[in-house]
Amino acid sequence: MIIQKCTDVSCDNIFAWLNQGPLTLTITLHLIILVPMVWIYLQEKRKLQHRPPEES
Amino acid sequence: MSQHDPSVWSSTSFWRRSAAWVTGFSAILLIFLTFDTMSQIQMGSDEDLKTGKVRRVPAPTVINHAIEYKMSRKRGHEVPVIGEEQPFFGKIWSPEDARALLHKGKVTVQAKNCMDCHTLLGNGAYYAPDLTKAWLDPAWQKGGLMQTLTRTHSTEEAMAKFLMDPPKYATHTRRMPNLGITRDEAVAIVAFLKHMSAIDTNGFPRNFSKPHQGEVTYAK
Repeated sequence: MIIQKCTDVSCDNIFAWLNQGPLTLTITLHLIILVPMVWIYLQEKRKLQHRPPEES
Repeated sequence: MSQHDPSVWSSTSFWRRSAAWVTGFSAILLIFLTFDTMSQIQMGSDEDLKTGKVRRVPAPTVINHAIEYKMSRKRGHEVPVIGEEQPFFGKIWSPEDARALLHKGKVTVQAKNCMDCHTLLGNGAYYAPDLTKAWLDPAWQKGGLMQTLTRTHSTEEAMAKFLMDPPKYATHTRRMPNLGITRDEAVAIVAFLKHMSAIDTNGFPRNFSKPHQGEVTYAK
């Protein structure tokens, strides 16, 4: 199971919970980093699409 | 305005914004984790011991208590359990004296370079036994080999006597040399080791307990 019950000394912390299952913390942190990057990508794409092509 | 399909991957602006986001987020996360770790490894107080509040690193006065190492089904490994009050070298140490003794033990361990052969809390060498939970080693307990060899009747006395002249009580071909440890230094080192064994290290080192008692239940 990816998400397991927290069994650490103190469980009053989001990282203690995330650190329980295998790779849970890694997956979460990568998600937090990558999701805004998708948003940045789409924004940049829109910007480039609406820019007039350079004349050669 | 004309529509075309430009490549975002070659856009400098995209990479600049992505780098700023990743670097900024990671920096904030690391700062948060640093403060979070500092609060978790902060030494507990004498009050915590009296009220039974579980701390990862207990107060120095934990040397005045019996310490057991018990299997926790919930945690999936063994955890130190701080028990009843128990005199250490025949007396109950005040918080100030206990702190000073632990400090002396720490600097002696550093001065004698114990980590040249031993491991403490994951740091050091593996030539000689891991000292992280040495205090809890059955060999030093009542009826254990080291109390018999040193002709003592307590863990602390056995350890102190051994430390003052290790070659005399050698049990292995890898003999610990005589490091010229005085009685006061030996008492301080034993206090340091006892305190270290009470630190909750999430079951480290693994497979420390006696095999026949190993009620091993892995987290499911």
